[in-house]
Amino acid sequence: MTDKLQHDCDACNEYNELSRRQFVGDGFLLGGGIVATALFPEWLPKVVLAQSQVSSRDILVSVFLRGGSDGLSMVFPFNDPLYYSGRATIAIPRPDSSNTAQRGIALDNTWAVSRPLSPVLPAFQAGELLILHATGSVDPSRSHFDAQKYIEVGKPRDPNVATGWLARHLATSTPMRSTAPLRALGLSDGLARILVGAPKTLPISDPANFGLQGSAATRSERTNWIRNNYTGVPEPVQASALDALNTITLLQNLNIAAYRPANGAVYPNNGFGRAMRSCAALIKGDIGVEALHVDIGGWDTHANQDPLAGSMFNTMNSLFGSLGAFWADVINGGYSGGVTVVVISEFGRNVRENGTRGTDHGRGNVMFCMGKGIAGGRVMVNTWPGLAIENLENRADLRVTLDHRDVLAEIVQKRLGNTQTNVVFPDYTPTIRGVTK
Amino acid sequence: MSPTDTDTVMDREPREEETAQADSQESKRKSRRDVLKIGAVLAGATLLPARKARAQRIVRPRPKIFSGFNSSAPNPGAEAITRLVRRVTHGITDDDVQRARQLGFTRYLEEQLNYTKINDSAVESYVSTTFPMLAYDHTQLYNLDQRMVFDQLTRGTFYRAAYSKRQLYERMVEFWSDHFNILWDKIQYLQIPDQREVIRKHALGKFPDMLRASAHSPAMLAYLDNTLSRVNRVNQNYAREICELHTLGVDGGYTQQDVEEATRILTGWTLRNRGEFYFDPNGHDFGAKTFMGRAFPAQPPSVGVAAIAEGEQLLTFLVTHPSTAKYIATKMTRWMLSYDPPAAVVDAAAAEYTRTGGDIKAMLRKILTPANLMAAPAKFKRPNHLIVSTVRSLKPNLTNQARLAFNYALYLGMPYFQWDDPDGYPDRVDFWAGTILLRWNYANYIATNNSDARVDVARFRTVDTPDGICTAISTQLFGGEMPATLRQQLTAYLSAAALTEARVRDALALAVSSSAFMYY
Repeated sequence: MTDKLQHDCDACNEYNELSRRQFVGDGFLLGGGIVATALFPEWLPKVVLAQSQVSSRDILVSVFLRGGSDGLSMVFPFNDPLYYSGRATIAIPRPDSSNTAQRGIALDNTWAVSRPLSPVLPAFQAGELLILHATGSVDPSRSHFDAQKYIEVGKPRDPNVATGWLARHLATSTPMRSTAPLRALGLSDGLARILVGAPKTLPISDPANFGLQGSAATRSERTNWIRNNYTGVPEPVQASALDALNTITLLQNLNIAAYRPANGAVYPNNGFGRAMRSCAALIKGDIGVEALHVDIGGWDTHANQDPLAGSMFNTMNSLFGSLGAFWADVINGGYSGGVTVVVISEFGRNVRENGTRGTDHGRGNVMFCMGKGIAGGRVMVNTWPGLAIENLENRADLRVTLDHRDVLAEIVQKRLGNTQTNVVFPDYTPTIRGVTK
Repeated sequence: MSPTDTDTVMDREPREEETAQADSQESKRKSRRDVLKIGAVLAGATLLPARKARAQRIVRPRPKIFSGFNSSAPNPGAEAITRLVRRVTHGITDDDVQRARQLGFTRYLEEQLNYTKINDSAVESYVSTTFPMLAYDHTQLYNLDQRMVFDQLTRGTFYRAAYSKRQLYERMVEFWSDHFNILWDKIQYLQIPDQREVIRKHALGKFPDMLRASAHSPAMLAYLDNTLSRVNRVNQNYAREICELHTLGVDGGYTQQDVEEATRILTGWTLRNRGEFYFDPNGHDFGAKTFMGRAFPAQPPSVGVAAIAEGEQLLTFLVTHPSTAKYIATKMTRWMLSYDPPAAVVDAAAAEYTRTGGDIKAMLRKILTPANLMAAPAKFKRPNHLIVSTVRSLKPNLTNQARLAFNYALYLGMPYFQWDDPDGYPDRVDFWAGTILLRWNYANYIATNNSDARVDVARFRTVDTPDGICTAISTQLFGGEMPATLRQQLTAYLSAAALTEARVRDALALAVSSSAFMYY
């Protein structure tokens, strides 16, 4: 019961603080001097919370590619004839191919990327995008649902571990801003497992429209009524309700719809692009959010994968177009705080294409990390397992030679400032691979 | 903001594994100490029930039991009856409670199970008149504007869920539609025969019949790419999911090698003529296969179409496997009873599956007992359950079903036939609890709108005092078991200003917004 009361008290204090600041007025920035509103773009919060970010910790943007993305259609060893012999209809042409419209772009003498990755090449060239290959989970499950769960909870096949690794990171670290009503959000219709169990965290598919509808005259009366009604109900319902109420004012003071990206960055006008644009606005709004999670689906390409012009080509355009815009807008866009982006999928796909111009569920895959604190500008492998059939897992799949938890744990330690990686990734001792600077 | 503005293009979250819970008792014990150590780090964790404390999950404990319904049961057996009504309907109504009390527990359950004997002609005649496409075959549907087909499928599904007297049947239709989930966008009109001939035909029949119907369903074979899978040009999508999601469960004992063998067995299972099941011997792999130890010997290609028998034998193997009995029993128990299904109930339902050859009604009888219901914590309504339950209890004059069946289903994150992955919408409170604000906005819409779903507020004002209105709300929305705290809170709200229509509508919106209304 004590924690419940505590929770309530916190909520009230935060609520009062917000109201008080609102009262102070639009023309003043708190925590010191007087600043004219005109200096700030109109989408910025009317209410700025106390102590602007002083933490050296990064904000994390976690992107999950649902369905098992075919990493070999993104980043591939273009000098390996086995890549081409195994993929008669879907291989990306060599960078020196005469097919100039569809050929890959060489990163070095070994690796090339397919053309939809063009928007992230500036980040790569700036040394702020790291590509990791032959990564994945130690667990060989080729079930989407098992593999996603194991990656999101941070430990395979342990029924005791039901919360997300990102949730446990948040639960074991001091809030970057103690008064923030919302520490993390998922841009989705339901809470992704990676965030299950996280304090002050909500799934919000449309942060630009977050408020209690109905008669304005009774809104505050109804708000209080709901707060009372949900106080004391079982979790996770109580926390969701109180967090939602405590977040309304915060998000309504951010005019996300009017947000203008920096550097002329343009986000693709689709679900994922809009979500990444919202992430940018939430980060620059400086409201104390320290982790954002976004899903992008469409990767389960069993048939007619077409990474050159069709289905997967379009999905990749959406993903990398958004990541490129995010880099230009936020990471390279003059935002003062640190931001790290991590992109992961549950598994890769077969090295050889199947009978239907697609690929079935596989193992090792590519992963991406982006940020000023990331040691990027290269393709990192921990021993490339090769594509020869005798080197493939089950004679079909790229082996996993780099546990994804090594990558994530290093980021948790070095960029998110949390040393308790034994809680975030239970029963695992990560090896520091030099993912971060 | 209107729900039409809501962007829900984001992809989905996976389903909780059905069987993981039951497994790995050993690994649970092994890591218990570590887990407790980790748990201690996390300040403010809610106290756990002692039974669970020794092997607790990291950070957040299992949800506490919602025990807020205030039973007004006239005798000890009556509380089990209201619990039964909550579980077998898409929202309790006064009519349901009256009917169940009149019949008693067993006879009410039997009435719902033997659904074909319930006279539902008013609903069925409305459906056949308003949504005639639900009865069309694939040749008729193919040439139609697919948006019209989807409109009728969705509104028809919503309408039946809300108004059919065969409520338990409709709850199971929803359950199996998730179990055999198919994304409309990929197969479109084929979903109509799938819903009719697979899901609705067998929802309270025998599971093996439903599985076989699904395996012959053009919609399923196309959704999971089996239509494309041919000898030496295989696609594992369907073969994997029929094992993992439809029958054995992910821990059901098969291997990656078995998935590859099942894929070969099912080569040639395809469709022709825009929606007719067809076994194509020219696409079939006649070589020898072994699936979970069972040999399927090589055959000469001259066997031709008779080679379909191999696939049929595979289906029989799957539906008679003990892992399937356990997996289906676990999932049904979770659906009807509890997020954390008691092992004894699962075992009883699984044994009943084996004893009866997968009779769904017989399994439900083992699950829906008074003792099981009395021991089961309340569950959190999924979004469409919430919407339909308001339609049932508030009885709005629904002149535009689309507003609820499309716009608000989408707004709350559960548009019909729109879940991408083959696992179906999650049945997990973790997943759904976070969007509670959207539910309050829906509650406000349904209780206060003046347009296409208008609630007749006079129904709640026959005794026009705060107390009288609360009694009406309790009767209509809570089966007479409105929690005492909620009653006090609603009374206070109704007493704080003049009893105008707006105030009463606000109070109705709050009743629907309340935590108690989110549970069933």
